[in-house]
Amino acid sequence: MSMTAPPSPGHAVAARISAIATHLPDTVLDNDALAADFPSWPAEKILDKTGIRERRIAGLNETALDLGCAAATKLFANGTVRPDDVDFLLFCTQAPDHFLPTSACIMQERLGLPRHIGALDFNLGCSGYVYGLSLAAGLIASGAARRILFVTADTYSKYIHPRDKSVRTLFGDGAAATLVEAASGNTAGIGPFVFGTDGSGAGSLIVKAGGFRCPNSPDTAVETEDRAGNIRSDDNLYMDGSAVMSFTLREVPRMFRQLLDKSGTTVADYDYVVLHQANKFMLDALQKKLGLPSEKVPRRFEDIGNTVSSTIPFVLAGLMKNGKLVAGARIMMVGFGVGLSWAAATIAM
Amino acid sequence: MSEFYEGLAEILEVEVGEVNSDLALDEGNWDSLAIVSTIALIDEVYDKTISGEALENCKTVGDLEKAVEAA
Repeated sequence: MSMTAPPSPGHAVAARISAIATHLPDTVLDNDALAADFPSWPAEKILDKTGIRERRIAGLNETALDLGCAAATKLFANGTVRPDDVDFLLFCTQAPDHFLPTSACIMQERLGLPRHIGALDFNLGCSGYVYGLSLAAGLIASGAARRILFVTADTYSKYIHPRDKSVRTLFGDGAAATLVEAASGNTAGIGPFVFGTDGSGAGSLIVKAGGFRCPNSPDTAVETEDRAGNIRSDDNLYMDGSAVMSFTLREVPRMFRQLLDKSGTTVADYDYVVLHQANKFMLDALQKKLGLPSEKVPRRFEDIGNTVSSTIPFVLAGLMKNGKLVAGARIMMVGFGVGLSWAAATIAM
Repeated sequence: MSEFYEGLAEILEVEVGEVNSDLALDEGNWDSLAIVSTIALIDEVYDKTISGEALENCKTVGDLEKAVEAA
């Protein structure tokens, strides 16, 4: 007899993603600039391997909160929803303005959202978008909220040492604002979901110093050079690319099959499988391993890099703009990364 | 071995004919990106998971093949 709890059956919540707006900071970091800093990696090689031509970098005094507010302001300007109509705010970031208060509370005031709303931050990276949708679906299913503004924004550039090509080539800053609304009388639905967590891999993608376990100090600011010539300190972002690749190839295919089982679907039922846009070599490897045709796996990283929790909404916004997410379209979303944390969901538009 | 060699040729940026067990993995071509790509290649070709540390210590393509066998 297994000691493991049986999986929850899961079902779709009558809710839909009704609009998405995205925002990028102005400063461009292109491969020519990187090649000047890292002579062993010519610009063409960076593009060929990562699939990334340029990334956007937040300004010195521009935070994830600022980027998120800009994305939300664009969402309101689209006319789909007014600030007064929002009754809950979710904000996913790993680069908050302060330890406290909650960035989402500051965002409520900045965006002119009503004072009767709920607002909270949650700290997740590349799995954050799928997690946020699950929180929004739960709030709607419980009747706690009907119209949720879900903002994702990150500024990993602020954590990255300028001499660390292993991460500087991949990550870009950006934000997305998604409106999740209760739906009725149509086929739209969010869910089911599957989740995964493995804290034994916490050190594989980490900014070690700055919290209370390891406060910033002269010691944490000491720079060291790794065998590949990258320089960083414990104050900076560190990624063990090999460990992250191994984890992804192990867990994502397993999660993919779990979600198909749980939702009673096959690959043929999906118009698109939207994977977290880590980089070209990661997506190539996953797409092969999952046996997915290219036309089902939309990509958006060449001009923005890996924007962490905003990569999936950047892809969705592109599909929406091109009229690809018509009513009845079914998509799977798959997020995976820092934590280690992973999640996938089925969404019917 | 041909599928593995074809993948390695792409990763190491050499002609596939140049790939053999004696081919050296040096500082110029065996960087962190090459190692990550090789993890994916080994997973694809052999359905085996291999650690970055195991690959980092390889000096030649032959060492890689031994590491794959041991995995």
